[in-house]
Amino acid sequence: MAVGPSAFMGVAAVLFSLGLYGVLTRKNAVMVLMSLELMTVAACLNMVTVSRFVTPAEMTGQVFAVFAMAVFAAQIGIGLALVLAVYRQTGSIELSSKKAT
Amino acid sequence: MLSGYWHFTPEVLVVCGAFAALFGGYLPGKDRGAAYAAAGAAALAAAIVAFGGTGGPIVFGQLEPDSVARYARTGLAGLTAVWVLWVAGRGMPGERRREGVALALFATAGGMLLSMAEDLIVMFVTLELATMPAYVLMGYRRKDVSGLKRALDYFVDSILASVIVLYGLSFLYGISGSTAFSGLELEGSGMLGFVAVMLTLVGLFAKVSAAPLRHWTLDANAKAAPVSLAFVSTVPRVAGIVVMSRLILAIAASAPAIGILVGVAAAASMIAGNCAALSQGDLRRLLICSGIAHLGYLMMALAAGTETGYGAAVFYAVAYAVPSMGVMLVVAEEGVAIGDFARLASRRPWVAWSMVLWLLSLIGIPPLAGFFGKLYLIGAALQAELMALVLLAILATLLSAAYYFRIVREMFFGDEDEQVGGAIEPSHAATVALALCAVATVAIGIGAPRLIAALGVRFG
Repeated sequence: MAVGPSAFMGVAAVLFSLGLYGVLTRKNAVMVLMSLELMTVAACLNMVTVSRFVTPAEMTGQVFAVFAMAVFAAQIGIGLALVLAVYRQTGSIELSSKKAT
Repeated sequence: MLSGYWHFTPEVLVVCGAFAALFGGYLPGKDRGAAYAAAGAAALAAAIVAFGGTGGPIVFGQLEPDSVARYARTGLAGLTAVWVLWVAGRGMPGERRREGVALALFATAGGMLLSMAEDLIVMFVTLELATMPAYVLMGYRRKDVSGLKRALDYFVDSILASVIVLYGLSFLYGISGSTAFSGLELEGSGMLGFVAVMLTLVGLFAKVSAAPLRHWTLDANAKAAPVSLAFVSTVPRVAGIVVMSRLILAIAASAPAIGILVGVAAAASMIAGNCAALSQGDLRRLLICSGIAHLGYLMMALAAGTETGYGAAVFYAVAYAVPSMGVMLVVAEEGVAIGDFARLASRRPWVAWSMVLWLLSLIGIPPLAGFFGKLYLIGAALQAELMALVLLAILATLLSAAYYFRIVREMFFGDEDEQVGGAIEPSHAATVALALCAVATVAIGIGAPRLIAALGVRFG
């Protein structure tokens, strides 16, 4: 059985939804950051799939994915720095916006 | 291919200014000297863009320094120069200046590249470069716990918006098979095209804090230091608006239905922003809410999906940011409660009259920048026969006068007893920065017909 682009994009959609669920429900800042990473991976998988099946000769999607990963590595760096700064002051890594729920 | 690289001179200058600020300990004047050097670099960059030429696509068609980009880049570098000059005079609250200044300049370099972007990959990378320093600026005071917490919330929500944009872009690329804006082709893509456009637009709207996902900006920004907010709510936002306008124009060519989506978001932004602003006593919240409303007016022109609407929207982005920066800097000097402005006119008459000038420009009184900006937005919407949106915009503007004039009343007729803050010491750099904002507000208004012609706006 041949695996087509829709299978890969389906996996990406599932990963993206799982990540989104995590971001919206978790209070723990580190878990939220991990969920965000999961969503990024989903987007990258999507790009690589497209690149493989739509424009196999050009590798545009792979390049896009590499750039996206580099950018998100930097983002998560800033995020963890903020988490650390908050942790030093309060001793907690819960997100304040979700305290009420 | 290397021939177009001189177009990057201003960006290189801004990045050099950022490094000069980072290593400010070795400069004469230390911290303050670093800020002056950075302000000089940004101002020089603005001048080079303004008087330099425009050109066709460079770097394999990924960037295009056209006349729209020239206008936006001049505005971005100029706004940054003003902000850094103010910081040189007054400093960042509670911390030293140089890191904040360096971060602001890095964001500006990202924003300037972003306003030239003609490719999805370049757009995404520079969008992140323009907004990433904002997270640090929002939590700049290390000891301020509630500020740090808000910065973390702001970070999570903003990254979420970025990821949604990225996911949308991957579909846009998948449908059209190209990452160039000119190669975007959504004709006959059906449901997948709709999903792609929805994801991209919802993410971008959240990034520039338009209606559907605007709540988080309000909550996260409301506790930040006003001086950080003055930068974050102008420079990265203008850059985001410019590229959003560019992308909407590119998509509208093959999917005209996008106009409906943008129009609905425009109407929602106008209504939600103005209604929320009416009842705010904290000036930070008031200005953020009114910023959402201004974005609504701007998206009204984008809903037209024409070159004229695009030019008018970019014109308004800067015409709105200049007075808004001025007001926010005065808030950083005087205090965030509306009562802090009591009798400002008798204490600091020039600042009070500048505030009046900026608020009138935000309302849209001729001959200031805001008036012409709104005129062109409405003109572009009328060309596309969006009567309902135009009527809504006019009503919303009348409503906005109510809360802007509340500040004016407080400055001239406020109760002196309410005033709690002591007199602030004079600072030449900060005075010059505020004066530049005031002059620019008038100058953009007077030069509006020429500027708008260069932006490719045609009426009739």
